[in-house]
Amino acid sequence: MSPRLGTVSTDQPVMLPMPRVGPGSEHAPKPIRVVLNWGRRYSLWVFNFGLACCAIEFIAASMGRHDFIRLGVIPFAPGPRQADLMVVSGTVTDKMAPAIRRLYDQMPEPKYVISFGACSNSGGPYWDSYSVTKGVDTLIPVDVYVPGCPPRPEALLHGIIKLQEQIAGERLSGRAIAERLGGAGGFTPGDDSGAPRYTAHRTGSAAEVTRGRVERPS
Amino acid sequence: MSTDELRDVALADWHEAVATAQASGFTFFDWLSAVDRTYDEAAPGYDLVLRALDVSHGAGTHGIRAVRITTRVPEGADAPSVTDVYAGAAWHERETHEMFGVGFSGFDDGSGSGLRPLLLPEGFAGTPLRKSFVLAARASKQWPGGKEPGEGHDSAKSPSRRRVQAPGVPGPDWGPR
Repeated sequence: MSPRLGTVSTDQPVMLPMPRVGPGSEHAPKPIRVVLNWGRRYSLWVFNFGLACCAIEFIAASMGRHDFIRLGVIPFAPGPRQADLMVVSGTVTDKMAPAIRRLYDQMPEPKYVISFGACSNSGGPYWDSYSVTKGVDTLIPVDVYVPGCPPRPEALLHGIIKLQEQIAGERLSGRAIAERLGGAGGFTPGDDSGAPRYTAHRTGSAAEVTRGRVERPS
Repeated sequence: MSTDELRDVALADWHEAVATAQASGFTFFDWLSAVDRTYDEAAPGYDLVLRALDVSHGAGTHGIRAVRITTRVPEGADAPSVTDVYAGAAWHERETHEMFGVGFSGFDDGSGSGLRPLLLPEGFAGTPLRKSFVLAARASKQWPGGKEPGEGHDSAKSPSRRRVQAPGVPGPDWGPR
């Protein structure tokens, strides 16, 4: 595929202040931080990006037998704008890649991604296909990888618990969030160089999510 | 269980053969696709295959009658489009064009836009279902597991199994892998 796709996205980034839990939370003493993180880790509204058979295992994990709602994962987010956690379950194709990036960009901070299954981890059994993306982490940052083909629902529960452990140890300052986004801020209008790589305030262009064609070495 | 009636026609008779089949009752268009036969030294090219069904008699005791019409399209040649016989063939001809690079002359799906890509992401270069299309992922990215049967994780390569040289596998001129 050619990386020269032109300017598909003409959205201008609008930089809003980095989201914060509250004024003073950057200097909050540890007990307060624990309480704030405790609130976040047990209220994960999840957005299921179901692309293939792994999505069925995700649904199984949300049902009565495994029931990840008891871990505070709520599978009824109306859309990405109301979600905290995105579970990419299934085979990511190059044609779907811009949509995944766009929906991820629409999620509000703080946001987390679980890559569920071999396909979204690395391409899985379709690793050499002409149309399958070699892992969703080439498009968006991933917090937890769940291996398996497909993974059992218990594996997703374990991945959720691992993610909650990460959230529990998280720092809350604006700078810590900016680091997770892949940029330290210092943004000036008209110059994208200081902008974070992943943020809801700008939409990734198609060129950022496509692979170039690999030619035979000469 | 129905058995397809097979008709092998010359490229020049392709459109007429399809129109004749349609007129003789095979009114239900099933699919159209191609097969890469470029390895055939006598007549290298792509086999264009069309399947149509005759559903007028119902399944009955003999099953639904089906016909499969085949023609050989040489590399670089265009096949006559059958969209005027079966309008539903438009998607299949677009797919065959983008996957195999087979051209269709006289293609008309009512939009006037011609043989534009159907399934592949925009900007995709190449015709991925041709045998000559190299799967570059095999050359550009290391895979942690065994690529071929017999290449387990740490197990010694099975000596009994011949090295698989499937279409799409980059040759040694792509460098070490």
